Amino acid sequence: MKNKLFRMFALFVLASMILAACGGGAPAASAEKVKVVIFVGMGTGTDPDQVEAQNKLAEKYNTTHDKIEIEFLIVPHGEYATRYLAMLSGGNAPQLVGPNGVSSVAEFFDTWEDVTPYIKADNLDLSDFYGAAVELNTYPEKNTGLPLGLYPSFLFYNKDLFDAAGVDYPTHDFNDKSWNMDKLREMAMKLTLDKNGKNATDPDFDASNIVQYGYDDSWDGMRGTLADWGAENVGRPTSADYKTATATSPEWEHGLQWLSDGIWKDHFIGGADVQKGRDSAGVDPFGPGTTGMFYSHTWYMAEGLHGLSFAADIAPFPFNPKGNRIARIDADNFTIPKDAKNKQEAWEVMKWLTSPEIIVDVCRIYGCVPARKSVQSVYIEQLKIDYPGIDYDVIFKSIDYLDKPNNEEWIPEWGKIEDALNNGLSLVYSGTEKDANKVLTDANAEVQKILDGYWATHK
Amino acid sequence: MTESLKTPLRTKPARRRFRGIQTQTLILKSITTFILAAGAGIIMIPFLYLLSTSVKDRDQLRQSPPPLIPMAADTVIINGQDEPLYEVTMDGKTSQMALIKFRPGGKAWFVDPTNPDQTHELVIADQKELRHVKFHFENYPEALKQMKFNKLLFNTLLVTFLGMAGMLFSCSLVAYGFSRFRAPWLNILFILLLSTIMLPSQVRLIPTYVLFNKLGWVDTLLPLIVPQFFANAYDVFLLRQFFMTIPLELDEAAKIDGASPLQTLMYIIIPQARPALVSVAIFHFLYAWNDFYEPLIYLHSPDHWTLAVGLQTFNALYAVNTNYIMAASAVMILPPVILYFLAQKIFTQGVVFTGIKG
Amino acid sequence: MVSSPGKRLISLARREALWAYAFIAPWTIGFIIFTIGPMLASLFFSFTDYNIVDSPHWIGITNYVNLFNDDLFWHSLKITFTFAVIALPLGLVFSYLIAVLLNSKIAGINIWRTIYFLPSVIAGVAVALLWARIFDPKFGILNPILANFGIKGPGWFSDPDWALSALVIMSLWGVGGNVIIYLAGLQGVPTDLYDAAKVDGATALQRFWYVTLPMTTPVIFYNLVLGLIGTFQYFTEVYVISGGTGGPARATLFYNLYLYQNAFRYFHMGYASTMAWVLFIIVLCLTLLIFRSSEIWVYYEGQLKSK
Repeated sequence: MKNKLFRMFALFVLASMILAACGGGAPAASAEKVKVVIFVGMGTGTDPDQVEAQNKLAEKYNTTHDKIEIEFLIVPHGEYATRYLAMLSGGNAPQLVGPNGVSSVAEFFDTWEDVTPYIKADNLDLSDFYGAAVELNTYPEKNTGLPLGLYPSFLFYNKDLFDAAGVDYPTHDFNDKSWNMDKLREMAMKLTLDKNGKNATDPDFDASNIVQYGYDDSWDGMRGTLADWGAENVGRPTSADYKTATATSPEWEHGLQWLSDGIWKDHFIGGADVQKGRDSAGVDPFGPGTTGMFYSHTWYMAEGLHGLSFAADIAPFPFNPKGNRIARIDADNFTIPKDAKNKQEAWEVMKWLTSPEIIVDVCRIYGCVPARKSVQSVYIEQLKIDYPGIDYDVIFKSIDYLDKPNNEEWIPEWGKIEDALNNGLSLVYSGTEKDANKVLTDANAEVQKILDGYWATHK
Repeated sequence: MTESLKTPLRTKPARRRFRGIQTQTLILKSITTFILAAGAGIIMIPFLYLLSTSVKDRDQLRQSPPPLIPMAADTVIINGQDEPLYEVTMDGKTSQMALIKFRPGGKAWFVDPTNPDQTHELVIADQKELRHVKFHFENYPEALKQMKFNKLLFNTLLVTFLGMAGMLFSCSLVAYGFSRFRAPWLNILFILLLSTIMLPSQVRLIPTYVLFNKLGWVDTLLPLIVPQFFANAYDVFLLRQFFMTIPLELDEAAKIDGASPLQTLMYIIIPQARPALVSVAIFHFLYAWNDFYEPLIYLHSPDHWTLAVGLQTFNALYAVNTNYIMAASAVMILPPVILYFLAQKIFTQGVVFTGIKG
Repeated sequence: MVSSPGKRLISLARREALWAYAFIAPWTIGFIIFTIGPMLASLFFSFTDYNIVDSPHWIGITNYVNLFNDDLFWHSLKITFTFAVIALPLGLVFSYLIAVLLNSKIAGINIWRTIYFLPSVIAGVAVALLWARIFDPKFGILNPILANFGIKGPGWFSDPDWALSALVIMSLWGVGGNVIIYLAGLQGVPTDLYDAAKVDGATALQRFWYVTLPMTTPVIFYNLVLGLIGTFQYFTEVYVISGGTGGPARATLFYNLYLYQNAFRYFHMGYASTMAWVLFIIVLCLTLLIFRSSEIWVYYEGQLKSK
C-alpha cells in the first residue's frame, strides 16, 4: 500500500516536472519569423490596462508583418534593473527597450547601440520630430534611439480651490512676464488652509494642522526641481566636461531655499510626512483635491487626470527670477541594447512604432505627446476625447521651454550622483536641514568626490 | 511508564494540591486569553485596512482622511456635470441642493436640481454633505481577472507543492545525515551549508541567471522547483535541531532490532519530528507562495508567472492600484491561512512520549 | 569476522561516515551544481572592476581598500548593526513569549494561533503599503493611539530620527515565522516531563524555567542563528518602503540596500561583491561564535558524543 502510494507520488512529481519544463518552449511554430522582444518596465507601460493595450498593438503588428514578430516583455517597474542586467549578462538581451525615459537611457547609457548608422543607411528624415525630442537622444558619443513622445511640464491647478479662496487662476499667457515664482508663492499661500479655514497669509494660521497645500512638486528629484531656476548648467550638476561639481550655483541655491522656505516658513508646500501619507494611500499629490497647484508632466494626465471630483486645468510654469522660463521636459524613447541579436529587425520595429501612422496610438498607451509634429492635430482630437475642457495649447507651447542640459540626461556615475543629490532634497523635505546652502555644499562635495573617483579610473 | 507517574495523583494530599493548581491554571488561562486577545487586536488592524482598501474605488482612495468604511458622495447631474448633493437649510426650510461652484469666504453656489438656473450663495459649513456607504466588491473579480489569477494560481501551486515535496524529501535525508552520524569534516560541511545563506543573494543573482540560461531553464518553472530537490540550509538546519532532540535510545533500540539507518529515519525519526516537518512544509509553502524576487528574474512571459509576480505588476511606475493590490492580497492570504489552520491538527497532537530516560 | 576489535571499530566508524556522506549527498550534489559556481564567481568579481555589461577586469584588492574609505559603507554598516542589536533580541524574546502563550490549552487556541500566523502570510508590496498607512502621522492609527497617552507621535517613515524605530516595530509585527518554529519546539517537549514536574510540586514558572526553556534551546538557537543571518541581510521591506532609496535622508540605508544599489543602480558589481564578502566574513564569525557558545547553553536530548 505504502509502496504504491509512493510510486504514484513519484509519477506525479515526474509528470509535473515535464509539464513545468515544457512550459517554456511552446511558441516555436512561427520559426521563420524573427522575434523582436520589447522590454517594458523602465518607465511606464506595466499598468494592467497598458499591458492589454500593448498586447493588442503586438497583435496588430504580427498580423500585418510576415518577417518579424514582436512581443512585449512586461517587467514590474520595481525590478527592471535586475532583470535587464540579468538578461544582458545571460546573453539573451531584449531587442528593444522602451518606453525608456531620458533617465533610464542615462542609467544604462553604456549598454545602448548607436543608431546613427541605421538612420544614415535608411536616410531616415528626422525633421518631423520635435527638435527637443531628437536632442534628448543625441549625445557626443552616440544617438541612443528614436523618440516616441515628449512629456512637457506645466502646472495642473484645482479650479475649485482657487474659486473658494477667491484667487484668480494662473495666467495661460506665455508672454506674461509678471507670472514669476514670487507670484506663485503669494498665490499658493492664499490657497493653503489650516483646519479652521485660515490661509497661510493669516497671522493666526495654524501651521501644525494644515489640510490643504498651495503647491506641490514632490514627484521630481533634485535635478528636476532645480533645473528651472536658470543655472548655467540648468539641469546638470556638473561642468560641461563632467569634471567639476556645480550644484552650489546661486540659482540652485536660490531655488532650493525657495522650496525649503515654502515648506518650513511659508507652509504652502507639504513636507516629507505629507508625501508619505499620500504614498501610503497610493494616491497622487493632485487627485485628492487638497493641492492647489501641482507641477508635473503630461504623464500625470494618463495617470491621474481621470475622474477628478473637482474642476481642473493646466497653466504654464512661471518665469524664474532671472526673467527666463524653463519648463523641464522628459521624453520616452526606444533603444536597442548593443548586445542584442537581430538588431536590424529591432530597428525596423522601432521605426514602425515611431512612424506617423502608429505613433499616436502608441503614445496614447503611455500618455506622452507624440514626438512628431505632423500628427499634432490628430493627437489634439484624441485629447479632446480623453481630457475635455483643458487648455491644450499649454501642452504644446511648453515644449519650447525645455531644460537644456536636461535634468535627466547622462552624467558619469548617473545613479550615484542622482542619489547623492536626492539625499539632499530629502534632508530639506524632512526638515533635517533647512538651509539650502548647507545642503548643497555637502551634496556638492559628495558629487565632486564621486566625479573624482570616476575620473581616476576613466581617461 | 506513564502509569507509574500518574499513580501518586491518586493520593489525597496530592489531590488537594491538584485543586490548587487548577485555580492557578484558571487564572493563568484568563490572563493568557486576555493578552492574546489584545495582541490579536493589534495584529488585525492592518488587515481591516487591507479589507477596507480592497473595496474602494479610485475616488474613495483619494478621500482624505481616508474613512475605514468606504463612503461616496451623493451626486446629481447638473448641465452635464456630476455635482455633489447637500442637505441645505434656507429660510428655515431644508431641501436637497447641488453645490456647483465654490466662492470665497467658505461659501458656494448651490442650486435646486429641479431649477438649476437659480443659484443661492450659502456658507458650506452650515450645510450637510450627503454621503452613502458604497462598497466596490467588483474590485475582486476585476483584480483577479487583470492578474490572470487562474493561470498564475496553477503555476504557483505547481511550484509550491513540487518544491515542497522535493524539499521535504531532500532536507529530511540531509538533516538526518548531519544529526545522527559521526564523520570527519561533517561539522565543517554543516558550516559550509549554513554559509550558503550568509552571502547576500544579490551578488549571486547574475551568475545564477547565467547558469540557468545555459541549462535552458530561463522562462520555465524549473529554476524554482529543481533546486528544492537538493536541500537548503534553512530547512536542513531546522530539521537537524529537531532530530537532535529525539533521544538516541530510540535509534539504538531500532538498530538492535536490525533496522538500517534508512529504516530508522522512516520509522523512528520522521514520526517523532512531525511538528518540525509540518513547520518546514508551511515555511516552504509561504516562501514559494510569496516569493517574487527569484520568479521575477527567471519567468519572462506572463503565462509563466506566479501569483506574487502578478501582484507586483499592480505596482506600476505612476499608478499604484492600491485597491487591486489589496483585493488580490486578500485572496492570496486565504490558502496559506487555511493550510495553517488545518495543520494545527497535526501540531496539537504533539509528541506524547519520550525516551526511557533514567 | 575474525578481525581484531580495533580494526572492527575503524570499519564501523568508516561505515558510519559513509552513511553520513550518503545522506547529505543531495545537498552536496546541489551545492556543486547550483551554488558553488555563483559563489566563487562573486568572490572573483570582488577583486575586479565589473559593471555587468563589460567583462570584469582584475584590480586586486582595490575594492577592499576603497570600501574602508567609503563613508556610506560605514554608515550602512552602523545602521544594520543598530537594527540587529535592537530588533534581533526583541524579536526573539517577543516571539518566544507569544509562542508560550499560544502553547497553552485555552479555548479556541487554533483560531488564536491562526491570527498570530496572519502577519507572516502577507508579503511584498501590500505589507509596505499597509505599514506606511499605519505609521502615517496624519491618517494612520498609531499616532492617535499615542495621543491618548499624551504622546505626540513622530513622522515615523518621513522622519530620519524615527524611521529605524518604525522598522523595528514592523519587524516585531512580523515575528509570526519565529512563533511557528517555537510552537513546534514547544509541542515537541514531552508531556511526561511536565507531569513529572507537576508531581514534584513545581509552579508554572518553575516548570517553564526548568523544563520548557532548556528543552526548547535547540529552536532558540536556530532562531538566533537564522535571525542573525537574516537581520544582517535585511532588505525587502526597506527596499519597498523607502522605494529603494534608503530614505528619508539615508536613515534606512541598510547594508544590503547599499549593496543592491551598487550592484544594480551604480553598476559596480565588483564593489557590491566585495561588500557581500565582507558581510559574509562578519556574519560567519558571529555565527561561529554562537555555535561555540551553544555548547554551554543548548541542550540536545539526542546529541552524539564525539569519540
